[in-house]
Amino acid sequence: MGRMNEHPIRLSVEDDLRRNRLTVFFRLILAIPHFIWAFIWGVAVFFAAIANWFATLVAGTPPASLHRFLSAYVRYLAHLNAYIWLVANPYPGFVGEEGEYPIDVTLPPPAVQERWKVLLRIFLMLPALFLSATLGGVGAIRAPYRGKGGRYGGGGGGALSAVCGILGWFAVLATGRMPKGLRDAGAYSVGYGAQVLAYVLLVTDRYPNSDPTAMLAGVERPPQHPVYLVGDAHDLRRSRVLVFFRLPLAIPHLVWLALWTVVAILVGIVNWFATLFAGTPPRSLHRFFAAYVRYTLHVYAFLFLAANPFPGFVGAAGTYPLDLVLPEPTRQNRWVTGFRIFLAVPAYLVNAALGGTLLIAAILTWFAALVTGSAPWGLRNLSAYALRYGAQFDAYVFLLTDRYPHASPLEGAEETQPTFDEPA
Amino acid sequence: MSRRTAAGAAVTVVLAAVWALAAYGLWRSSVPDLHLPRLDPRAYFSPEQLHDSARYSRGLRLLWVLATVAQLGALALFARFGVRWARESAAGRAGTGMLLGMLGFALVWAAQLPFAVLEVWWGRHNGLTTQSYLAVTLGNWLALGGTFVFLCFALAVVMGFAGPLGDWWWLPAAPCFIALALLFSFVTPYLLGGHRLDDPGLRAASVRLERIEGVQHVPIRVVEGMNEPNAVATGLGPSRRVFLWDTIVEPPFTNREVRVVIAHELGHLAHNHIWRQVGWYALFAFPGAFLVALGTRRRGGMRRPEAVPLSLLVLVALNLVALPLRNLITRHMEAEADWSALRATRDPVGARGLFETFVPTTLMQPDPPTWDYVLLENHPTIMQRLSMVQAYAASEAQSP
Repeated sequence: MGRMNEHPIRLSVEDDLRRNRLTVFFRLILAIPHFIWAFIWGVAVFFAAIANWFATLVAGTPPASLHRFLSAYVRYLAHLNAYIWLVANPYPGFVGEEGEYPIDVTLPPPAVQERWKVLLRIFLMLPALFLSATLGGVGAIRAPYRGKGGRYGGGGGGALSAVCGILGWFAVLATGRMPKGLRDAGAYSVGYGAQVLAYVLLVTDRYPNSDPTAMLAGVERPPQHPVYLVGDAHDLRRSRVLVFFRLPLAIPHLVWLALWTVVAILVGIVNWFATLFAGTPPRSLHRFFAAYVRYTLHVYAFLFLAANPFPGFVGAAGTYPLDLVLPEPTRQNRWVTGFRIFLAVPAYLVNAALGGTLLIAAILTWFAALVTGSAPWGLRNLSAYALRYGAQFDAYVFLLTDRYPHASPLEGAEETQPTFDEPA
Repeated sequence: MSRRTAAGAAVTVVLAAVWALAAYGLWRSSVPDLHLPRLDPRAYFSPEQLHDSARYSRGLRLLWVLATVAQLGALALFARFGVRWARESAAGRAGTGMLLGMLGFALVWAAQLPFAVLEVWWGRHNGLTTQSYLAVTLGNWLALGGTFVFLCFALAVVMGFAGPLGDWWWLPAAPCFIALALLFSFVTPYLLGGHRLDDPGLRAASVRLERIEGVQHVPIRVVEGMNEPNAVATGLGPSRRVFLWDTIVEPPFTNREVRVVIAHELGHLAHNHIWRQVGWYALFAFPGAFLVALGTRRRGGMRRPEAVPLSLLVLVALNLVALPLRNLITRHMEAEADWSALRATRDPVGARGLFETFVPTTLMQPDPPTWDYVLLENHPTIMQRLSMVQAYAASEAQSP
């Protein structure tokens, strides 16, 4: 059992991936009444949250009536987000009923909260809000700013669920089903957003847990992808000196990686023609790209603090705590090879969205590791998810496999897979 | 004496002779024997200027001493205990050496940071800079990345050769470092950027000076955002450039003084000073690398990453020991560039004005103490430069 399962706010996913094409096509228009209602309710929640803060600070426990009101709002926004981003199919209700929607959150009853945490909540919530903003669940920041020409815009991201929702929109219109990977990623965003909002509104004093594996504990794991992570996931120790100087220490690797990438792109063109002609990538080129993709993973795992030690420069297998299993050269579908660069565009968008999440997770880990000397478990697993997807994307682009990257935050299910469970 | 020892001694003598001959060739200068008179600073500068510059320079000297002690202390500690960071590496022999090298420099940066911040404070306090403390700290932190790239390359070369060659790695490594110095000299102008001179009068003057000094088609660029007035000549062959800091092409410096600056920098190029700098570097690279190899032997030599922390200490200590000699060489070249500028501009008044303006604008002490001169001054002192101007004016007056 992971620590996430002990979190008082739990996500339940009862969705069957089927979608109604008509409601998906008009999804945003259909949601307009909800947007208006969410705004009106949000105004009331703003004042209720202030009252709740004072009351909790004085009494040590949120008043039951306010807790009920705010909990319903948290649940309602989870339903609404799930609907907007195609994580669920049915039209949601307007009052945030529990157990009435396929994507739901279980919220705890009012409980005693530590007063200092209540007092400092506005500061304590910031890291979680930044992360949530890149995921785009409930609580995503939309900080207004004045852009060029005096126009106001929104910033902060929400990229992952938005990208998954937009890509899912096309997929559903074509097939009538939401791809599981995109659904799982969206569900994770919704769940984390709900935890963040509940924390902000003092529904709970438990800090949001960013561990995607634990968040989707009840969700069926996808089939194993031929490109997957191995290594010692439980090695959370981080050297403070290496953490402090992480960026400059990584620069020689980034320079080397940039040079390698130039060569990889040129060799990649040769590999593309060879694979298109022969149906299978030449073994020597496959080995070259396997080292390149593995090295990229090592460098990014080091740079983004998903792993501790300084990596080697050659992408050797089995040399790094966060490593990659890559497939042997196999026959690939020539159509998929021929149109690989176009087929990779949706995966590129997901990868870019996860890149933003990875960056924020790394910044938060940097601060945490400097103080504690170890990486937070949840952030480490979130980073590993983003890195895994990036490696699958690279492997797909460079023809190491013709299997499409899987966007689910869950590792594929097979006995050889590592389980990123709670460290002892 | 055995035959082998005798042969070794003979080779050493021959190499020393070759070294001395090369050094003599590089040392030769076009500056005649001037018998420079010793001038009294009080005749050129007000008591306030002398007081302010002496006070400011004292502060800088103190900070240099403290920063150097901190650097040596940090490296000594790192040489003793730094090996323990090897466990944070999954990068093999050479990669671990690189990590240790980078960490050593990172710790030196951390140890010297307070003095860098104090130096900015001292500059702000004396009205010489407007740099923010955050910019200095963050800028230096990011600049570490660039340092690390070169360090990694250097360590890759050293450890790469030390693998098969053992303690003889320095023989092939020194030419690699010389090649790297050549490459660096060549590409530096492309990294500095800058824009062309705005003033048409100065542009015309620089073309005239190029012709006189025999270095045509050298672009003169102005670099923005600098603090103290300065200029540099850099590049080799087609990459040769003269860079003027924006602070030297604006008041209180006059166009007449800027012309002297341009002539001085063109003088560096005319007398092949960049090539000669590389030449001097080549002369010191071989014995320097040999001494590093010698100093790290007791840690198993540079083939082992454990030797890297000690090698940093040896390298920095050697640099410190060589500092007086290095300053002597650069002062010699700067004097030649000054003389070249005087001959090209035939304007001792402009040159005198330039050197006198340096004192209030940089608070440079016109006549620093001897130890400062030996250890820290890589240009002739202001009084020496003014003395050369006087000598030039006298020689001009005597010529028919």
